[in-house]
Amino acid sequence: MANNYEFTPEDLKEIETIKAKFPEVMPATLPTLWVAQRRFGHVEPEVQHLVAETLGLPVSHVHGVATFYTQYYKEKMGKYVLDVCTTTSCQLCGGYDMLHYLENKLGIKAGETTKDGMFSIQSVECLGACGYAPMMQITNDVYVNNLTEEKLDEVIESLKADKMPEFESVGMPQHTERS
Amino acid sequence: MPEIFIDGERYEFEGKPKLLQFILDNGKEVPFFCYHPEMSAPANCRQCYVKVGTPVQNRETGEYELDENGERVIRWFPKMQTSCSMEMTDGMVVHTQETSEEVARAQKDTMELILINHPLDCPICDQAGECPLQIQTYKYGPEGSRFEVKKVHKPKRVELGPRVTLDAERCINCTRCVRFTEEISGTHQLTISSRGDKNYPITAPGMEFDDPYSLNTVDICPVGALTSTDFRFKARVWEMNQTPSIDITGGKGTNVDLWTRDNLVLRLTPRYNKNVNTHWMPDEARQAYRKFNENRISRPSIKADGDNQIKTSWNNAIETFAEKLESVKPADVMVLGSAHASVEENYSLMKLFSTWGVNDFHFSPDVKDGFGDNFLLTDDQAPNTNGVKALGFNEISTDDLKTAIKSAKVIVLLNDELVDRGVLGSEDLEKPFVISLATNETETSKSTDLVIPITCIAEHAASYVNVEGRIQRSLPAKETKYTHRKMDLEMSEGRLDRYGTNFDNWVNEDNKIDCTPTWELMNNLAKRLGLSVQFGSSREIMDEIASSVSTFEGVSFERMDDENGIQLTGITKEEVSA
Repeated sequence: MANNYEFTPEDLKEIETIKAKFPEVMPATLPTLWVAQRRFGHVEPEVQHLVAETLGLPVSHVHGVATFYTQYYKEKMGKYVLDVCTTTSCQLCGGYDMLHYLENKLGIKAGETTKDGMFSIQSVECLGACGYAPMMQITNDVYVNNLTEEKLDEVIESLKADKMPEFESVGMPQHTERS
Repeated sequence: MPEIFIDGERYEFEGKPKLLQFILDNGKEVPFFCYHPEMSAPANCRQCYVKVGTPVQNRETGEYELDENGERVIRWFPKMQTSCSMEMTDGMVVHTQETSEEVARAQKDTMELILINHPLDCPICDQAGECPLQIQTYKYGPEGSRFEVKKVHKPKRVELGPRVTLDAERCINCTRCVRFTEEISGTHQLTISSRGDKNYPITAPGMEFDDPYSLNTVDICPVGALTSTDFRFKARVWEMNQTPSIDITGGKGTNVDLWTRDNLVLRLTPRYNKNVNTHWMPDEARQAYRKFNENRISRPSIKADGDNQIKTSWNNAIETFAEKLESVKPADVMVLGSAHASVEENYSLMKLFSTWGVNDFHFSPDVKDGFGDNFLLTDDQAPNTNGVKALGFNEISTDDLKTAIKSAKVIVLLNDELVDRGVLGSEDLEKPFVISLATNETETSKSTDLVIPITCIAEHAASYVNVEGRIQRSLPAKETKYTHRKMDLEMSEGRLDRYGTNFDNWVNEDNKIDCTPTWELMNNLAKRLGLSVQFGSSREIMDEIASSVSTFEGVSFERMDDENGIQLTGITKEEVSA
């Protein structure tokens, strides 16, 4: 497979540091895939080949690992990936409404990417933040909690200006009582 | 010696065997899918659940604690254990599904989970009849399923490689195929993609499953997920006879089964022999079935005018053979044995011609340097190089052969495709009168003057000596024009195989080849020439060889059958590689 992707010298240095942490090469697969996803925005088949080549592992192994975890993007995604939770708690609190609002707003369906390559929407399973339902996660990173339509508008605007929303500390009920 | 109690019976064991293998070795049964004796046990199918406990021991005295009845107190593992990965310890107590309702229930429930997304397409599935999932569901599975929801759909008819086709829906993710490429063939070409109910084995994107041993994954697949692209939809398992035989495409002597129906060999599968190939065989060897069915020579043929061969009668063929011999001196006749033919064939050829007066016997070895892989493929391309050598045939190099041919007036060539494999050109065979005893129509048979059809390994019982000096024999799997399964005691009549009943539905009398074993041909020739040479069955010929050729001392069909082949002394590996 012809490969159009290449790690920078800094990436390779980082991968060496990762490899040094483990007695064998195989466990370095996960962190190296992260390095790759950070660099290229996805781990498409070609990137999987690159990772396998760099680590000296079978491509099939890297492919198996990459496909096991949904957080690795096996195809090109938007710059910001909006993972809207639609599992029980969020569902009850309007997760699907938020998802559909986003879909209408951006003109795409869940699983698609906008033409300008800015946004992708995914409907995902529980992200473990049931206390602040409905919620979503942006590109495997910041959680945006207690979603409303207004809040979504704000988030989209700020992302269009390349500004990630701030991390919100939401106390659990018992914490708020105590304070 | 350490002891273990399985279903109330006491067994002794040595070392640290795994529980499932020990149970199977002792003739008992526990259902399983992912375990394979040649590979690691990941215990991921969870089907081999058993209940296990260990006796309570006093730590200081080391004595077993006893209850009020004087029985050992057993501390049971809190949950069922997978017997494939369970290491046996002294005093262990095990209950399988035979003595524990709980275990039977656990196995049934596991089976129900495995079957959630498994399609109910047994009637059109190639694996049906030899499917561990099907068999074990009948034996241990639930009667129905509580999962009355739509099954998950996955890719079907995926061509993983040139020889293997995947039906992902049938896969139960036992990972046997993945472990095969990791642990046995070492190509690492397969992996399990995705997870949960969406997973199935696949190659890395852009890669092909072209492992030279890829079809073994089809054999070990416990369901119909991996199928042989070549054999797919050709025959149901229960329509075929299964006959033990030997691979003839290489020097390893891989043990195989020939699967026949209506006198056609439809597929080859490996047959377990721990001293030769264990459970495996190379993909290439599976193509041999074509040679048994296609382009076979049926009835003798003789070169009439120019290069045209016409069919002739057996009488005429023998008469021509004898006349040609009588018209020359034995010194003008060159007899070429063949590493592609069995010990018995070469022996009968040699005996007849040495009685007639020929002194020199040669064969042309068929070796491709660098072809071997230290596993099941060997440099030696012929199944019986050591056998012909041991009989006293001398190796002859290509150059010497070309020179020798020039001075010979008559050449007798036992089944060897000298022209096809580039040893000789067809022009080399133009001058002398060439008589070839052959199984298949090839460039070689086309360039000879008299072609006499002989039986191939699928039609006769005969022995072959592999590169390591191990002699093994074949059994006839298909009839010729002159044999019948009910008459030939070496042939299995009906399906004495693992899956069948005694019904036999061979319906077609075609596909029988008009050919004869070499030794019978030699009989006819001896009679015509007035020589006192007479051969019985190949079984008797082997007895004769055993008493007259020192290398084969003590060898007999009975011993080969009982011992899965016999290691001959006096043949060393060094000799072979020369």
